Amino acid sequence: MIRKLLDGLYFASGVAAAGFLVLIFALMMGLSVGRQFGINIPSGDDFAAWSMAAMAFLGLAHTFRYGEMIRVGLLLEQLTGRRRQALELFALTVGIAFLAYFTWNAGRLAYDSWRFNDMSQGVVAVPLWFPQLGYAGGLAILLIAMTDEFVNVARGNRPRYEKEPVSSPEELVERIASGGGV
Amino acid sequence: QTKWNLASAYPADNFHTENLAQFAKDVEAASGGKLAVTLQPNAVLFKAPEIKRAVATGQVQAGEVLISIHENEDPIFGVDVVPFLATSYGASKKLWDASRPAVEKKLAAQGIKLLYAVPWPPQGLFSKNAVAKVEDLKGAKWRAYNAGTSRIGEAVGAQSVTVQQAELAQALATGVVNALITSSATGNDVKIWESIPYFYDIQAWLPKNVIFVNQAAFDALDKPTQEAVLKAAAAAETRGWKLSEEKTKAYMDILAAKGMTVAPPSPELKAGFEKIGGTLTEAWLAKAGPAGQEIIAAYKK
Amino acid sequence: MPHFDLIQLSIVLLVFLIAILASGVWIALGLGLVGLLAMVLTTPVPIGQVLATTVWSASASWTLAALPLFIWMGEILFRTRLSEEMFRGLAPWLQWLPGRLLHVNVIGCGIFAAVSGSSAATCATIGKIALPELDKRGYDKGMSLGSLAGSGTLGLLIPPSIPMVVYAVTANVSVLQVFLAGFLPGLLVMGLYSGYIMLWSLLNPGRTPPRDPPMPFAEKLRQSAKLLPCLFLIAGVFLSLVLGIATATECAAWGVTGALALAWWSGTLTWKTLVESVMSATRLSCMIMLIIAGAAFTTAAMAYTGIPVALAEWVQGLNLTPGKLALALTVMYIILGCLVDGISMIVLTAVIVLPMVKQAGFDLVWFGVYLVIHVEMAQITPPVGFNLFVLQNMSGRDTLTVAKAALPFFILLNIAVIIITTFPEIALVLPRWVFPGG
Ligand code: NA
Ligand code: NA
Repeated sequence: MIRKLLDGLYFASGVAAAGFLVLIFALMMGLSVGRQFGINIPSGDDFAAWSMAAMAFLGLAHTFRYGEMIRVGLLLEQLTGRRRQALELFALTVGIAFLAYFTWNAGRLAYDSWRFNDMSQGVVAVPLWFPQLGYAGGLAILLIAMTDEFVNVARGNRPRYEKEPVSSPEELVERIASGGGV
Repeated sequence: QTKWNLASAYPADNFHTENLAQFAKDVEAASGGKLAVTLQPNAVLFKAPEIKRAVATGQVQAGEVLISIHENEDPIFGVDVVPFLATSYGASKKLWDASRPAVEKKLAAQGIKLLYAVPWPPQGLFSKNAVAKVEDLKGAKWRAYNAGTSRIGEAVGAQSVTVQQAELAQALATGVVNALITSSATGNDVKIWESIPYFYDIQAWLPKNVIFVNQAAFDALDKPTQEAVLKAAAAAETRGWKLSEEKTKAYMDILAAKGMTVAPPSPELKAGFEKIGGTLTEAWLAKAGPAGQEIIAAYKK
Repeated sequence: MPHFDLIQLSIVLLVFLIAILASGVWIALGLGLVGLLAMVLTTPVPIGQVLATTVWSASASWTLAALPLFIWMGEILFRTRLSEEMFRGLAPWLQWLPGRLLHVNVIGCGIFAAVSGSSAATCATIGKIALPELDKRGYDKGMSLGSLAGSGTLGLLIPPSIPMVVYAVTANVSVLQVFLAGFLPGLLVMGLYSGYIMLWSLLNPGRTPPRDPPMPFAEKLRQSAKLLPCLFLIAGVFLSLVLGIATATECAAWGVTGALALAWWSGTLTWKTLVESVMSATRLSCMIMLIIAGAAFTTAAMAYTGIPVALAEWVQGLNLTPGKLALALTVMYIILGCLVDGISMIVLTAVIVLPMVKQAGFDLVWFGVYLVIHVEMAQITPPVGFNLFVLQNMSGRDTLTVAKAALPFFILLNIAVIIITTFPEIALVLPRWVFPGG
């Protein structure tokens, strides 16, 4: 039950992030095409920028679980068994600690925006705490996903962010070419 | 020795930044080296939109920002960009004297101590086509980046276009934008003569950079050092206003030298803008309430 | 500020960075931790708030929003039939050149590079068809692997380019200018590659297989007509910009529109490929964005320490000629490029290197091209090189064999660096022509 709920959370926030990517696309096309017909999207640049931030952070947990958040694997790949597990747990602990600190402060940023009545600076006035929710929320979900993985690895399981070995060369090419690297 | 950072979003060769560098030097000298101020220009520490918050929360002890970018937060911050309200250095100074107490009070509520303000050169009208009256701007691709510019665009029947400052040079070159209100300084920065032939010195408003410090950081200084800061600030303000006026002349000379038509507005154009200005001042007053009434009353006295 | 302290601090931070990255902590988080440590050691300000503010300000960015769109465009095109069409359209015309179809790799990658911002995707898309076809005809394995590894990297130098967007945002220069600056050096690299293939084939006459049976001219044209949609896409994106329909950022959205149209036209646009392309673009963007976010905080943290300014002053004191500085940086980037990926390479070094090169009088737009060529090299140096991974799995050979095959092309990239350092105009002539004022 809780497993399903968590996995659903990561996936749903990933889908939301993808939605914001499509929104960026729509806003930019709207600005560009609209201009030809005398239609302007007021503060379209601000909305695109906030969608960018929302996409970047809401998609993190999904990206992490998918094994596409990169790290230097040279040392890890040399290790096996208990040693490997220990180093994984170390990396996760460091990650969790940093993220907890980060999430707290991102939340505080949104709270301060609300406290100061901080507004966007373009033609349309939007209270900034609102777009900042995606930022803090995305980090919080990543924090949950990392803690989830810590528990998983501590129980002696393989980390779920480690991809299954591929079955065919084509599959690996597909993996690397689409999303594995630049 | 106490160390402060001073955050600015403008490049090191901008006259505001040069003035800040001198201010930092003056503070160190006047405090006998007890307070060292490191200028961090070019948005190395914080970008313009974040500088006020950064100072308020003590992330950086001092900062400089174009105060009108915060007009959505409180109309008081936008009094210097109400179009055609104060259209010369003299009027702008008067408006600043009238509005300073209100701005000071608003900033103080956020834990910020205001030091001084320096204006940018007056905002002029750049256009691809000759403009003899406001109706000539009908249908122009008009850059709207805040409430004021957006309202003017609507009033003259121009087509508002959303383009970021960073893309302005390119937008002008490719014709995405062909009319806008900005200062002769920005015109120089984006080499505007390559695509825009006309500049009308309508002096629509003089936006100001405000320099402030974190109140707690200021309170932590001893009395003589506080005095030193205030003294250097007063000197920087006088110097800055003078510098700004000199620069205005120099920038306009460059525009003309590059082959642009640099002209004062025709009486008809001026009257047209003044009429729009009257409406926009009313609109601002409606938003700003009694505090705004007070400022305008003091200014018009 | 006493210099000795800064040197100690720099060493502490560097050692910490290496240790934290080596222990498998995710790169973006490691970067943030280095910034955190730097600030803990030097400044009394509230660090967490600086972290939150700088990251928010770096990610809520209009200019940066072009990045996921360029990535999405590449993801859509990767799922079309573009690679087959590229091979069949180009092959009939290249039979007469020494080296024959090996040039398909160079030119095919060059064209695909103009619609994709990624090196691994360019390499995989062109290689998907070219590699088996070349194999079938008996081309030299090493040369076809090497030329493909090398040409794939053109995806980064010929605009659009993901690392160029990352660089432009980090260095605060115009994305469009860096794009324009990459164009001629991209052609230069293509020329070097093709020249080398011809030279090699003339020196080893027995190792190029005979030409394919001749094809009637009309048939050649018919095959090549399939390349037209791709050329339309390139021209369309370019025109949207030049005609003032789109700004530099918005032209990324036109790229996506064009890619969707192309996929629809070729019949490969299904609901499934569309969803896959969006999701996979989102993940890659998130990965890159978190690194950029970590770097934004580290940049601010370094400004608090004063290290970058001190370092720039130190370099100034050395009175290095620009050439010597460029050489020193090349050595550093080649070593770094063996170990980390291109994006991390750019953001990890930007804080320190940018003030230095500014001080030395380099143009930051030119430096973007210089840096991106080093990122290209990093794609084909072991042990961490994405193009090597792609080809290793396509060909079934091990990394080292592929790396050895790519070595001549790695050297050619070094020659390209020497050429553009000696003649910076090659990079700067286009941006200066479009933006005469700078
Ligand atoms: Na490219
Ligand atoms: Na490498």
